[in-house]
Amino acid sequence: MIESFQHLEELARDRDLADVFLEMDEQEHAVPADMIVEALRKRRAVMRDCVERGKNGGESMGKLVGHEARLLNEAFRSGRTFLDPLTVKAELYALSVMGENARMGVIVAAPTAGAGGIVPGMLLALEEERNIDPERTVRALVVAGGIGSIIALSANISGAAGGCQNEVGVASSMGAAGVAYMMGGTTHQSIHAAAIALKNTLGLVCDPVGGLVEVPCVKRNALFAVHGLTAAQLALAGVDSVIPMDEIVEAMVRIGRSLPRGLRETAEGGLATTETGTAIALRLKEEANRRRAERAAERERAAQERKTGTT
Amino acid sequence: MPIRHDRKVSILDVMGPVMVGPSSSHTAGTARLGRVAREILDEDPLEVHFHLHPPLAATYRGHGSDFALVGGAIGLNVDDPRIPEAIRIAEQMGVKIEFAEEDLGEVHPNTVRVEIRGPNREAEIVGSSIGGGVIEVFKINGFQTRFKGDSPTLLLFYRDRPRMIAEVTGIIGDEVINIASLYCSRKQRGKDAFMQIDVDSPISAAALARIRAMADVAEARYLDRIP
Repeated sequence: MIESFQHLEELARDRDLADVFLEMDEQEHAVPADMIVEALRKRRAVMRDCVERGKNGGESMGKLVGHEARLLNEAFRSGRTFLDPLTVKAELYALSVMGENARMGVIVAAPTAGAGGIVPGMLLALEEERNIDPERTVRALVVAGGIGSIIALSANISGAAGGCQNEVGVASSMGAAGVAYMMGGTTHQSIHAAAIALKNTLGLVCDPVGGLVEVPCVKRNALFAVHGLTAAQLALAGVDSVIPMDEIVEAMVRIGRSLPRGLRETAEGGLATTETGTAIALRLKEEANRRRAERAAERERAAQERKTGTT
Repeated sequence: MPIRHDRKVSILDVMGPVMVGPSSSHTAGTARLGRVAREILDEDPLEVHFHLHPPLAATYRGHGSDFALVGGAIGLNVDDPRIPEAIRIAEQMGVKIEFAEEDLGEVHPNTVRVEIRGPNREAEIVGSSIGGGVIEVFKINGFQTRFKGDSPTLLLFYRDRPRMIAEVTGIIGDEVINIASLYCSRKQRGKDAFMQIDVDSPISAAALARIRAMADVAEARYLDRIP
């Protein structure tokens, strides 16, 4: 078993990182490497579908988001975006996945649903823009998943356990390692890409407005997809993280534990309790109560009808 | 020092599951918790009560946890597109559903106690959705345990006595099946006891029949990996 990132770096220094992770998982979980690759091939396809569906936007469950992907897509198609296409696509694909997620569509949790736009945003945009073989993307998913599995040795990956750093932070970190791998980076560079990305998210609170995975989650995914690309860029240029990845993960866990409960996905702090956030939460609650009352009335009516029908 | 979990999460756990949105801990994990209750009951439920730990009670509706818990309890998979319709489907099946808030103590924020009743049996679990769709059930029918649903598992309810573990593991060993982990607990010496055996490969029907025929075994429930 790979116990730490230090151990990983020693083990995989001159080897293909995806191969090392596949061997590790085969030993630990008795799942043959080709089955893992096949499963991830399917998951890449789910991500791809999700991006295609999501590009056109559509209203979310809570009706707070849904048109971000369509707006950015229209701006991109008509030449009104000013960033380079790789960056815009990373943002667009992250928004597309998150839009689908907020509509209760089928997505891949990577590592969670609330942060599920980041890895596909980064990897699929890079694949397209740099004409990378999709099989290499699948192997980059192995790398991203492997990085996440080592983080998960110490951390419970959820916003409720440790804030948004545990979700978008970890996703961005996993994606950064995947991107470094896709671009031909070394194991050292992949680990440092992950470290640089994660380091810069520490202390990030999970404060969903109205308790929904909509605000700020959807846009945060787009921004953190770009954040991860930046981390990968630095590492590939030879910039190392001064603090080693293992210590960053440890810091993340410690910071997560010291975050007050109100800032851990409870919708009782941060953006959720701003003036606008509070107003939205109140409106959602009223709507939910109204819908519940309507459903109860309908059940009552149906019961009455059954009664009169039998007598 | 960082906490170390007792079992390593796999690449496919991290890069997955494929699921209906919007939240892996509130939708996928909770659907799996509902599903565990359904699989332990082993029949279509008539009634399901969900007791939500306060932080989960505060957020469950917005994340569709109500649909997900109910979806799992009526046997839907986490990637089943019918999950958003689960409550309506349950109503059509005539299943009575109830949600309530309950302080479950020093536990993970996303923890739920599920009471489920069918025509012939009833079951109760307490478990947490710890992120990324991963679950930890730490109480089954009142017995302390650690159930993750990531491997085939045998749940044994029996009367506490010497040689019980040796006999059961002997039958499993006869089939050359490797035991990954084993948890035992009992309510009182010589009285109601419980054993959870996680295995690396499926246990045959013949071996299960032998286990069920053992003296003092009240019930043996075999669960596949929870999808």
